[in-house]
Amino acid sequence: MRKVAIVGQAQVNASDVGKSRERMLFDLCKGFYDGMGITRHDIDTFVLCSNDFAAGHTISNVFEDCPVGAYMKDETKVEADGVMAVTYALARIMSGLYDTALVVGNSQGGSVMRPYLVMDYTMSPTYDRQLGLLNELSSAALQARAYLDAYGLGDEVLDRIAARNLRNAAKNPDAFNGKADATPESVAGSDKLYEPLKQDHCFPFTDGACVLLLAGEEKAKELTDKPVWIRGVGDSLDSYYPERNLARSKSVKLAGERAFKMAGMNDPAGELDLVEVSAKFASQEPIICEGLGLFAEGSASDVAVRGLAEIDGAMPVSPSGGALGAYPLCAGGVTRVAECYKQLTGSAGDLQVADARTALAHGQDGLYLQHNAVMVVSTEEG
Amino acid sequence: MAEKAERSVVEVEVPLDFTYNYRVGQYLERYIKGLGEKKILGVRCSGCSKVTVPPRNFCGACNRVMDEWVEVGPEGTVENYTIGHVKVERGAVEKLDEPRLLAMVKLEGATVPLLAEVKGMAASELENGLRVKAVFKDPVSDSLADLSHFEPVGQEVK
Repeated sequence: MRKVAIVGQAQVNASDVGKSRERMLFDLCKGFYDGMGITRHDIDTFVLCSNDFAAGHTISNVFEDCPVGAYMKDETKVEADGVMAVTYALARIMSGLYDTALVVGNSQGGSVMRPYLVMDYTMSPTYDRQLGLLNELSSAALQARAYLDAYGLGDEVLDRIAARNLRNAAKNPDAFNGKADATPESVAGSDKLYEPLKQDHCFPFTDGACVLLLAGEEKAKELTDKPVWIRGVGDSLDSYYPERNLARSKSVKLAGERAFKMAGMNDPAGELDLVEVSAKFASQEPIICEGLGLFAEGSASDVAVRGLAEIDGAMPVSPSGGALGAYPLCAGGVTRVAECYKQLTGSAGDLQVADARTALAHGQDGLYLQHNAVMVVSTEEG
Repeated sequence: MAEKAERSVVEVEVPLDFTYNYRVGQYLERYIKGLGEKKILGVRCSGCSKVTVPPRNFCGACNRVMDEWVEVGPEGTVENYTIGHVKVERGAVEKLDEPRLLAMVKLEGATVPLLAEVKGMAASELENGLRVKAVFKDPVSDSLADLSHFEPVGQEVK
């Protein structure tokens, strides 16, 4: 199979970026081209990732082509999480038809619209939307409660998870919701939403975009001396309905297994140096990590107490601060891959995991972690 | 005359105002009619024997039509719950004066839990394993609201 690498990234995140979506994309992409020393003509195919409801009009990419540089070029769109868009770009390069692909995810959920409304519109129009009981927060709360109760854990474990992410986010220049002095106590003192969730357990409403450049083997080596190779991808879609055990995610597990198999990994927990997961709520982090087989089921309290997920821990989880630092819908998963790229190229600054060589990015979409996508990246070509 | 408000040229409001008139389909129609008769109906999968409520056309795991109708409840057990201190109204979060209790109720005879509101008890008493009973709306409105909420078993039904 043709080898494909990530050769560059750039991102912008804010609660209010202060510009139109189109201008935000132009500034980010043009700045990226200039920084890489390339032009838009070096891009063979564009994979855009945005959402019609978030944009407020159909064909959300309709105004994106000119600002990102895709005018009159080969272009396509993914309306789901960004890891799925990166996977699509990978497949396009592997087909042999293209040498380079630019992935651009974006949305303006900080200043333009309310991200929770997008989740409302994913729900069954004839049942759940009529009842009005289920929404992004109540569903996440039910999943949180299911996890805690399944393993007899206290709510305070969520405070510890959130505090770690918020502290890390404060050191990430690409995040904006960091809190350098976050503690489990400060998180516990934030506003109650749906129990057990509190405000500081939740992703912040975000304006943001993330750009990632992928290239086939020869081109990648021309463009950079630090390519980060995409070694494995996996994806799995669970049922919408709540008959599944919300305390675990079978689709995370299957997505992970598919990616590990493709990457030729027999011992993921031993071979991965870090993971960047799309835990939109602190409670989703252990469910995702346990689904990936990184920690034992129901071990969140032990993981927190022993600091296993810290940057210098046995398995650093979302050293960037993850989705609690910034979470632009659609761009969220692209950002997780970009944060892995920063780590593997040694450019993660104060958040650098020592000797990071292999990492995993996770993206999700839908109710109760319905759709999961996983990507394994490495400095080793394989 | 009121003072003229300052005109904003920075932002414009753009509502997304389509109204869709969905058919609820035969299954949900029969379920809603059942609620009007104070009955909660589900369907059983002839492949895996799972009973879903509200009734669904298809079993995802078996990839087959579910067509054996069964009556479930009206009593059940709380399997999961959350206490809402806010509500999310069209994406906007608003604080509530009184907490709202939501529970996943496993009705007698059902495999899949039903999400419903629980009333008639203190939030601090809501827990897994609690026995609850359906309270129906009277008079009926021919809508999902005919199953109004659940109350702890043993309480006087209003």
